[in-house]
Amino acid sequence: MEPIIHIEEVHKHFGAVHALRGVSLDVEKGEVILIIGPSGSGKSTLLRCINRLEEFDAGRIVVDGIPLDTAENINAVRTEVGMVFQQFNLFPHLTVLDNITLAQKLIRKRSKAESERIARQLLEKVGIPEKESYFPGQLSGGQQQRVAIARALAMNPKIMLFDEPTSALDPEMIQEVLDVMLNLAKEGMTMVVVSHEIGFAKAAADRVILMDGGQIIEMAPPEELFDHPKEERTRLFLSKVL
Amino acid sequence: MTITTSKSSQEKKVTRFDNWWFLVIAVIALLLILIFLVPDPYQRIFVFVQNGIGTTISITGISFLLVLILGLLVALARLSKSWIIKGISTIYVEVVRGIPMMVQLIFWYFAFPSVIQSVGKWLNIQAFVDYRANPVAMAILGLTIGYAAYMSEVYRAGIQSISRGQMEAARSLGMTYIQAMRYVILPQAIRVILPPVGNEFITLLKDSSLVSVVAVADMTRRGREFQAAHFLPIQTWVMIALLYLVMTLFATRVVAWMERKFKMEK
Ligand SMILES: Nc1ncnc2c1ncn2[C@@H]1O[C@H](COP(=O)(O)OP(=O)(O)OP(=O)(O)O)[C@@H](O)[C@H]1O
Ligand SMILES: [Mg+2]
Repeated sequence: MEPIIHIEEVHKHFGAVHALRGVSLDVEKGEVILIIGPSGSGKSTLLRCINRLEEFDAGRIVVDGIPLDTAENINAVRTEVGMVFQQFNLFPHLTVLDNITLAQKLIRKRSKAESERIARQLLEKVGIPEKESYFPGQLSGGQQQRVAIARALAMNPKIMLFDEPTSALDPEMIQEVLDVMLNLAKEGMTMVVVSHEIGFAKAAADRVILMDGGQIIEMAPPEELFDHPKEERTRLFLSKVL
Repeated sequence: MTITTSKSSQEKKVTRFDNWWFLVIAVIALLLILIFLVPDPYQRIFVFVQNGIGTTISITGISFLLVLILGLLVALARLSKSWIIKGISTIYVEVVRGIPMMVQLIFWYFAFPSVIQSVGKWLNIQAFVDYRANPVAMAILGLTIGYAAYMSEVYRAGIQSISRGQMEAARSLGMTYIQAMRYVILPQAIRVILPPVGNEFITLLKDSSLVSVVAVADMTRRGREFQAAHFLPIQTWVMIALLYLVMTLFATRVVAWMERKFKMEK
């Protein structure tokens, strides 16, 4: 079967910084991939290349059969790929409900009633049905992140990207967000997650990737990578995190 | 119980009502007193400059609408990734901001038609050779081009004050750049830029008096004509000053009201 994400020899520079040095990766449909690695190793950059928030200098990325080349294709890919950010990035001038319906109405061309029905379903799913008329600023971090997940899911993405979704949260709110992500994984969503939540990795990830210096150093199922790492750099990183 | 509720609703009214409206009312009252209690010369002056009031208001209003549109386009051009678009718009802003408004207005009315006529002679286009400048149109053109440069800076600062994550979140949902601007960035930026946009409007209203040098019969020019005919400089210019003051004070209050409205909605 064709991989749903195909990344081939991707390079990315920020001025003099060589942030990605020839990264290749295939993700199968329904797989959950966790990316770990030290700060500045290129994890966010790789994730942001998949929906082309970041342009890459060399290499090829094909998402669900669509190569990321023309502006048209890039937009087509973006509607298939949901993204959740460390800082939530909810639209502060809109209510929770409007945050979730805006893109549905604009891009999926759904009616107001239809998009609101879907939004309410998703709010139920992420566990905050009572907050639909609140503004983001009135919610806790964990609630905001769950709204952000609902907003992305409302577009019916085939792939979800998470960039450190819990690292801006107070410890007591981390689990409520991870629970939502675990459920998504169980339902068979294809997910690429940058996170250092080892518990989530062991419970949900099919493969864990260790990145360092803009390269994939090691890739293995979670038990193998965490308990019997092959590479010295993996061992070094894990000894600092665990 | 009833006392406390009525008190709190009264308090609400007081905080919502802006006391500076009294100043507007006071200036209007002063104007009316002068016009009706001292009709000679104030009513005569008022009647004489009356059509100039309309000209000042319409030139300011039309120019400001065009400035709002052109200013936004220039701001977006300056934020563009293309260095050509960015370069051209930056040069426009820097050049226009470096030339006095009066000189620009004189250029558009006196020099620009000559340019068109010369080009017409050179290319043998009769319509260009016969071109005559319309003072009001040239005044609006001059004010628009001049003020859009300042307005673009106001917009640009407002747009840049919104965090980059907002644009990224919108784009990652599949919105186009224009949709993201229209529904996500600009509605947030407007809260930031409303006060400086209001200030630009008031400055434009005052600077519209400069068009009196390019044959437009605005309030200022009508005042000069009245003074030339009747030689009553003190009364004439007190009257003209009061008329401008009513307009600018009124505009200031409207801007303050809109600011509070936006804050409350948030
Ligand atoms: N917009 C940018 N401009 C310049 N340099 C950048 C930019 N974004 C990332 N970089 C650089 O690229 C490298 C990789 O950054 P990236 O954000 O992908 O790392 P990361 O693994 O996500 O790190 P962290 O764990 O801190 O989020 C770093 O050296 C970073 O400084
Ligand atoms: Mg990162």
